[in-house]
Amino acid sequence: MLASTVSAAAGGEGQNPFEYLFGHVVAYQVGEFVSLPVWQFQVFQVAAIVAIFLAFAPVKRAVVQGGGGYFTKVLAGWVSWIRDEMVYPNLGETDGKKMMPFFLSLFFFIMFMNVFGLIPGGYTATASVYVAAGLACIILVMMIFGGMLIQGPLKFWASLIPSGVPGWLLPLIFPLEVIGLFIKPIALTVRLAANMTGGHLVLLSFMGLAFYFGSSYGTALGLAVTPVSLGLAIFIMIIEGFVALLQAYIFTLLSIIFVSQALHPDH
Amino acid sequence: MLLTLLQETGVQPSHAMAAIGAGLAVIGAGIGIGKIGGDANSAIARQPESTGDIRGSSLIFAALIEGVAFFGVVVGLLFAIK
Repeated sequence: MLASTVSAAAGGEGQNPFEYLFGHVVAYQVGEFVSLPVWQFQVFQVAAIVAIFLAFAPVKRAVVQGGGGYFTKVLAGWVSWIRDEMVYPNLGETDGKKMMPFFLSLFFFIMFMNVFGLIPGGYTATASVYVAAGLACIILVMMIFGGMLIQGPLKFWASLIPSGVPGWLLPLIFPLEVIGLFIKPIALTVRLAANMTGGHLVLLSFMGLAFYFGSSYGTALGLAVTPVSLGLAIFIMIIEGFVALLQAYIFTLLSIIFVSQALHPDH
Repeated sequence: MLLTLLQETGVQPSHAMAAIGAGLAVIGAGIGIGKIGGDANSAIARQPESTGDIRGSSLIFAALIEGVAFFGVVVGLLFAIK
């Protein structure tokens, strides 16, 4: 599959590389009439959830009783880092304790999906706009309904207006602030999906360099270019490994900040 | 000059414009992230004890700028594959 994708990227006819990047639909026949369309990213989402359950099964015992392997200790430290550095400073102890499980699962769900996309043959579920938008929709619902629940329905919409705005500016400011409320999850979506897609596109282009030179200028030049394109691809792969963790951190931290702004606009 | 180049190479003008737009978006993001990185480094050099806070907030601001740049790149990409 990768070879055909790279040859398509290198100018060959046939498969569009975007079709590979933006996922496949595999229809499973269930019974006689029902066909169940399964997107490729759904498989990797489920795989990420299963991997989270497998990886975190021994963590609680390791925290309570001590012991545990190296990987378990790293995960336990990671969890307390998320609590102490990301959730509690922004949301406070009382709210942070309630929302800690959600943001913890959000972080590790995105991280596992990102990392699974780096495994050869894998598919980055977060590179799909649908997955990223689904995650951002949860944040939008938390912002609007959490804010209305904690502040009161009218006070939440009133708190969107910055203090000290003169009255004649209100018809202009209020729609802008409401649009800004919806722009935040859209920005989260585009940031996550475009980051993961962009990294894959760069990787595809660098791998395609060798095939492009090989098909356009002869096999000898293609073979000569191969070490360069492979080296560049490995370099991008290392950066991708960093970006996979960074984007999970950024998405979670920004959603924590957005939610805390919606819940407590005064600080 | 650009149009004759396009006619000779056979690249569609909308694809070329999409590529130029993506490149322009990246210029803005490069200026912004470069400024953030330089200022964060000089802030860390002045106050090494608050390295963690400065690094965290500079990552957030870099991500915000990057998000805007990705808007431009995604719009360019949509034009290119259409």
